[in-house]
Amino acid sequence: MSPGVEGEGGDGRSGRRDDGGGDVDREIAGHIELRAAELEAEGWEPDRAREEAERLFGDKEEIARACRAIARSQQRAVRRGMMADAFWQDLRYGVRTLLRSPGFALVAILTLALGIGANTAIFSVVRGVLLRPLPFEQPDRLVTVAELSNKGRPMSVAWPNFTDWRAESSSFSGLTVADPFPTTVLGAERPVKAEAVAVGQDFWKVFPVRPVEGRLTVPADHAEGAAPVAVVSRSFWRNQLGGKALGDYDLEVDGSHVRVVGVVPDGFDYPVGAQIWTPAEPQQHSDSRSAHNWKVVGRLAPGVTLDRARQEVDALTKRIVSGLSGEDPDFIATGAVVTPLLESMVGDTRRPLYLLLAAAFFVLLVACTNLASTLLARGASRERELAVRTAIGAGRSRIVRQLLTESLLLAGVGALGGVAVGIGVVHAVVAAGPAFLPRLSSVAVDGQVLVFTATVAVVTALLFGILPARRMTRGAEADALRTGSRGNALDGRGGVWRFLVGVEVALALVLLAGSGLLVRSFRTLLSENPGFDAHDVDVMRMSLSKIKYPTAADHGRFYAQLIEQLKALPGVKAAGVMSVVPTQGAPNGRLELDGSQEKHAVGEYVAASAGALEALNIQLLEGRLFDDRDGPDDEHVAVVSKSFADQYWPGENPVGKSVSGGGMDSFWQERRFARVVGVVGDVRNDGLDASTYPTVYFPYTQRPSRLQYSAYVMVESANGDPAALVGALRATLRSADPDVPPEIETLSSVLLDSVGQRRFVMFVLGGFSLTALLLAGVGIFGVVSYTVARRTREMGIRVALGAAPSSVRGAVMRHAMGMVALGLVVGLAAALGLGRLMHGLLYGVSATDPLSIASAALVLAAVALLASWIPARAGTRVDPMITMRAE
Amino acid sequence: MGDGSLELLKGTLDVLLLKTLSGGPLHGYAISRLIRTATDEAFQVDEGALYPALRRLEKRGLVEAEWGVTDTGREARFYRLTDEGQAELASGLRTWHRYVEAMGRVLGVPAGG
Repeated sequence: MSPGVEGEGGDGRSGRRDDGGGDVDREIAGHIELRAAELEAEGWEPDRAREEAERLFGDKEEIARACRAIARSQQRAVRRGMMADAFWQDLRYGVRTLLRSPGFALVAILTLALGIGANTAIFSVVRGVLLRPLPFEQPDRLVTVAELSNKGRPMSVAWPNFTDWRAESSSFSGLTVADPFPTTVLGAERPVKAEAVAVGQDFWKVFPVRPVEGRLTVPADHAEGAAPVAVVSRSFWRNQLGGKALGDYDLEVDGSHVRVVGVVPDGFDYPVGAQIWTPAEPQQHSDSRSAHNWKVVGRLAPGVTLDRARQEVDALTKRIVSGLSGEDPDFIATGAVVTPLLESMVGDTRRPLYLLLAAAFFVLLVACTNLASTLLARGASRERELAVRTAIGAGRSRIVRQLLTESLLLAGVGALGGVAVGIGVVHAVVAAGPAFLPRLSSVAVDGQVLVFTATVAVVTALLFGILPARRMTRGAEADALRTGSRGNALDGRGGVWRFLVGVEVALALVLLAGSGLLVRSFRTLLSENPGFDAHDVDVMRMSLSKIKYPTAADHGRFYAQLIEQLKALPGVKAAGVMSVVPTQGAPNGRLELDGSQEKHAVGEYVAASAGALEALNIQLLEGRLFDDRDGPDDEHVAVVSKSFADQYWPGENPVGKSVSGGGMDSFWQERRFARVVGVVGDVRNDGLDASTYPTVYFPYTQRPSRLQYSAYVMVESANGDPAALVGALRATLRSADPDVPPEIETLSSVLLDSVGQRRFVMFVLGGFSLTALLLAGVGIFGVVSYTVARRTREMGIRVALGAAPSSVRGAVMRHAMGMVALGLVVGLAAALGLGRLMHGLLYGVSATDPLSIASAALVLAAVALLASWIPARAGTRVDPMITMRAE
Repeated sequence: MGDGSLELLKGTLDVLLLKTLSGGPLHGYAISRLIRTATDEAFQVDEGALYPALRRLEKRGLVEAEWGVTDTGREARFYRLTDEGQAELASGLRTWHRYVEAMGRVLGVPAGG
């Protein structure tokens, strides 16, 4: 055994490192020297000996190169192995460390699970609704085509415009109408409500799909005068129609006998929720270019850009309307617009969903700052542990890695919890099925969402881990081991903490202010007078068989009878029928005034009975409502809204004037002037957040054809409990006609649905801000508790020296609130700026509404005060002698 | 090293090196000298050729290396057999003996040569 093997190791801990470069050369040089010395000893000349030694060695360069290559590859393998070892070691150590303080670990993991879960859930929704491609062939080639109104707004398409586009445009490989109409299907075991769609002959070219039974509709089915046929969805066929052979069905859909020719697979539904597709062409169509009744969807021809298609259809439309006469210029198209299908389906939800995603991210940031400050506080108590590890040879980077591994561990477990939270929330949202969220069925926590969550978790770990890790290792080597001293209060961490608490407070303030704005908007919206009283009212949606009730008069008689029966029910205060539900929109068009076809007005057209107006408490301002004098054969009458009267007969008494339904009258029945007998208050027909629109009411008895399309029976409860009436209403309807499926809701719930998106965004954002508020409170509490714990000695001395505990408490609180105040200032500035992002979600409130923002700041300040007062009080209540001896 | 020197059989250098180290740690030059004298300079091989072979053994974990000081006071890299190296040497020797025995039987030379 050679001496001298003891000594320098080659593992790099100290001394010479085996770098594989110089080492090889040194080793070879050593060999040659020894060999030359040996040769010299054998009697060679020194110079010759050296030459001979080199010759005997061989190709020095080649050998050195080979050795270096082997050594390097070995070192790489060693380093990889060491890093993997170190990681597992760090991980095991991290698990042990966390298990030693389970309380901290639990709170940290819960905090992270909430933050990450919120992000997972909202991202699932964003991905499912906004990002995921539509489930059709080449979905990015699908577009909707709409006409542009004279105000530049998109509107539905007139039938002749659609057929002209289809005939003359070259931009589309298929162009079709797709107009959903809820209907009642008869001929199955019992009447079933269904979502039917009238589609053009190109529909299956635009949406290629393979039928699972029978066939799709072919051009012959779409020809004029063709016998009505239908394609149904598989689930509708199975569940509603009993899954019998297709030839066995004789269904009644929308007043016609319909043959079922095919079944398409589940999962295909365009428009969303469609169950029955019937050819649109054989039906009767208005040839007016101002009757905007159709939704048009198409597939771009290969190589055609969206822009080219738009230009072509726009030019085509302008050419068509320029040659028109006799159409109302207010109601014909001024152009056309082509929009990607996905955009037209989900465009409205983009802003609120991204707002919520941003809010979820804010919550996570608050959670991160919270954890960062907690880790920092823990770090202070781990100083000795870290100093010991440093002293026994761990480098700073190794300790930073150890601390980051602990953060990753927390974030990893938190992310698992977050995924659980996310799945729960997504299930709840999908189950609740809010009507304003399209494509809910494609919302799920899937692989891509999990990738997102994992990324969020890693970023989170770095966010809350890096700062404390760097702080804790700074100078740990030097000081802590020497004394184990607790030193002065904050040892320079005050600055970081001020920063972290400030960030937390600022983020929470932005969220609180945002939800404050939404809450105020919502309250403003609900507190505004919509012109009717939804309380105590039930709405019955009705759709009668057109085979059983062939004429408009039959419909009128049915409703007259039903209303009489309903009025006779105990607990019913008023009942009537109406062609629209307030806030759900009403058809509008050109009306004619004063017995002249040349005098035009624009207004909404409603057929109603007096009972419906009474049930809704629509205010009668002048004249009278309809009554027994207004039968089908009596003089035709009308009631107008106040804004209609003010606009068209300013300064005159509208009672006694005359009005006709114009084009809308001729569409539903013959055009006829009616004498105005009364004026009622304005109603927000198009939504709680929409303005009122001039409206004309005709008695349904004189315009019963309007009710053939849609009819709503309004029933007002006498005892303030409309829900309790539903059973009696259903029974009455069944006895009047068992073939009408009952669809009864309270009008209040209809109204809530109409503000569903606002409510959803408000509740979710509210939930997020409360979470952020709670986290900020916990964070401040933690920091102040820690400060107090570190300063007990100092405070004890001060109290012992005669300082009033309250003044010591005051000092702690002042310090804490200094941090909070900074955050409040930054948060206020941010809230004022970010409010603009909420444009479109606010109602009757400015984005910089001082009340919302100030109250958010106040709430936050109060929580912060409480969160710092509790630990400050606890700290100064301890006996000074105890705290001083504790050192 | 003159005429009549042998080409080293492929793959036998490793066994030779391991065997050389079985007596205790040695630096490269000492290994080379030991092989040279023990074989009476029978093999024709560049002295440098053993270094890549040593590095390969080191990479495979059969030997370990440490810098140390020779008895003449020079720094040198010392190689030492690991446990894995011992095992590898044993199996290498077994293979070698079987090989020689088989060859000997065919060629009619006493085994163990």
